Amino acid sequence: MDERQVSVRDGIFEIDVLEAGSGDPLLYLHGIGGLEWGEHLEQLAQSHHVIAPRHPGFGGSTGTDELADLPDLVYYYLDLLDEMQISNAVLVGHSLGGMIAAELAAVQPQRFSRVVLISPFGIWNEAHPGLDIFGSTPDEFASSLYADADSDAALAVAGKPPRAASEASSEAAQNEATIAFMLERAKAMSTAAKYLWPIPNKGLKKRIHRITQPVLILWGEVDGITPPALADDFDALLSDSRIEHVAGAAHMAPSEQPERVAELIGEFIGVQ
Amino acid sequence: MKLEMFHLCPYRELPEDFREKYHSVWVDVPRHLYDPEVGARLYNETLDELEYAAEMGYDGICVNEHHQNAYGIMPSPNLMAASLARTTKDVAIIVMGNSIALYDPPTRVAEEMAMLDNISGGRLVSGFPVGTSMDSNYCYGANPATFRDKYYEAEELIIKAWTNEEMFSFDGKYTQLRYVNLWPKPLQNPHPPVWVPGGGSIETWGWTAERDYLYAYLSYSGFKRGKQVMDGFWKVIEEKGIEPNPYRAGFLQLVCVADSEQEAEERYAPAVEYFYNKMLHVYPGYADAPGYRTLDTIKAGLLAQTTQFGRSGTNELKWKDILEAGNVVAGTPDQVTEQLEGVIKDLRVGHLMLLNQIGSMDHELAMHNIKKTATEVVPNLRHLWPEYEDHWWPQRAIVRDTSGVKV
Repeated sequence: MDERQVSVRDGIFEIDVLEAGSGDPLLYLHGIGGLEWGEHLEQLAQSHHVIAPRHPGFGGSTGTDELADLPDLVYYYLDLLDEMQISNAVLVGHSLGGMIAAELAAVQPQRFSRVVLISPFGIWNEAHPGLDIFGSTPDEFASSLYADADSDAALAVAGKPPRAASEASSEAAQNEATIAFMLERAKAMSTAAKYLWPIPNKGLKKRIHRITQPVLILWGEVDGITPPALADDFDALLSDSRIEHVAGAAHMAPSEQPERVAELIGEFIGVQ
Repeated sequence: MKLEMFHLCPYRELPEDFREKYHSVWVDVPRHLYDPEVGARLYNETLDELEYAAEMGYDGICVNEHHQNAYGIMPSPNLMAASLARTTKDVAIIVMGNSIALYDPPTRVAEEMAMLDNISGGRLVSGFPVGTSMDSNYCYGANPATFRDKYYEAEELIIKAWTNEEMFSFDGKYTQLRYVNLWPKPLQNPHPPVWVPGGGSIETWGWTAERDYLYAYLSYSGFKRGKQVMDGFWKVIEEKGIEPNPYRAGFLQLVCVADSEQEAEERYAPAVEYFYNKMLHVYPGYADAPGYRTLDTIKAGLLAQTTQFGRSGTNELKWKDILEAGNVVAGTPDQVTEQLEGVIKDLRVGHLMLLNQIGSMDHELAMHNIKKTATEVVPNLRHLWPEYEDHWWPQRAIVRDTSGVKV
């Protein structure tokens, strides 16, 4: 995997981009948990040129102050796609990235061959609100994000040390790591709030019909953030879509069940 | 030194098992717990208590703004202030709302404050709180990511609306108005003094100092924690080379006065324990929407010590713990006077806002506490800071005799 910075709009945005593989492009837009190069991307890079930019406001990607709302973010992404000359790509978006993917595919359907939405935000169903990600305690948030609340990833979100804290790392080093993690999460969540506060419905319903290419809707079976019932709402609004539920996963299916997620996407995009 | 009586207008009749049984006193406090017959009485008792504080000799009376909150049932402090503007004659009327970024357009606040200033005869203090996350983000849906920016823009617009002689256009990020042309004008010239109540966010200190507004730290934690925050504020003032005039700072303190320590405990402990155990029972998930505080504040590590709302832990706090922590100052008039003098000097504040009605305290006891404080404590503190001038006082509010005669 290679990591580089891509400059957009004369340097207003300096964007971390992770990429690997060759072949047709596959654009991957990460979720509220941030971007990690996981096994799912590694596997997809066997057949595709995987390009995974980090949203402004996450990690080292700058320029979030220039973005006030979802339209600002969509236009930023159009600039990034132009800058990187991405076309005829498979578009995969997870969580917040799923919402952005749906918006981009609605604005420029001709740019993407196929679309995969993994537990996307963007449609509100009062009967299935899910946990308020901005109005919950770290414990509640962790156990809604992950199927296994005792996994290290879930413990980190809950602000707790990993199960097998290494003997070598001192308490001070662990505290420092926890503080760094919390600060990054505070930054990421305040960025996410621009697009999802207070209810993650910014009008996608009015535009989603413009996505006419095949869409795969992937959903963690026990997602407590964007409840699995929302898959049906997306499915009903799309003209060519199907749903796959992922067992043993909540909102973070790409990191909870990376092989299964990669396999389902692979099947959908015709990887042998 | 100026001393003002602050009233939260709490709902005084929450059930005994509130803390155990219910999720939060704020945002999603169950609606069925509000009895309008009780509410109708409480609003009027609150107004009576504030009027009595004015009559008994306080320099000013304060009301503030909260939403969906059982410890403060004044969503509109302006309505309370309008009534008080008519029923009081000389005291300052200190409106510690309006959270200016919540009102679209913010000129609504400029208009209402101008009206209150006219009605009160120039006795108004206009508070510009950023607003808590619970009120602003959770109850009113304001986006925390842009909230502070919107606040700064609203302040710019309101000041301009108060002071511009000509009509103007305002092309802001959050508010666009083709015609800003305020009728009425405030009576005070150029406008009522602006006080900025804060919860300890460090970004507010520098801004308040630059704008030459008064900074008031409002918390229920008392003077021990307040010291940390005010030290931070005065450090910023020093760094900016601004005169450390104590009148540019205010502080809130809960106070109970009786004829003996024993009487204080007997009469006030139930109400005070009610306040700390039931009314500060705020669900921690509502404490701080992401983006509400800047990373600098979070990084400064203040979150844990000075900006966290409510309190953690499930243990019941008792009178003794509350006094030891400095949350409440209680005792005989002499004891309270001595302690408050220490607080005033230690925190270097020219304005002390005293909460005399606390938690479930009934009307009769609240009136008693107001009278004791206003007549046996307040006059003995007013002589402090004689070497400084108060530039943050309403132009036509009373300035009482500070000849220093101790009673």
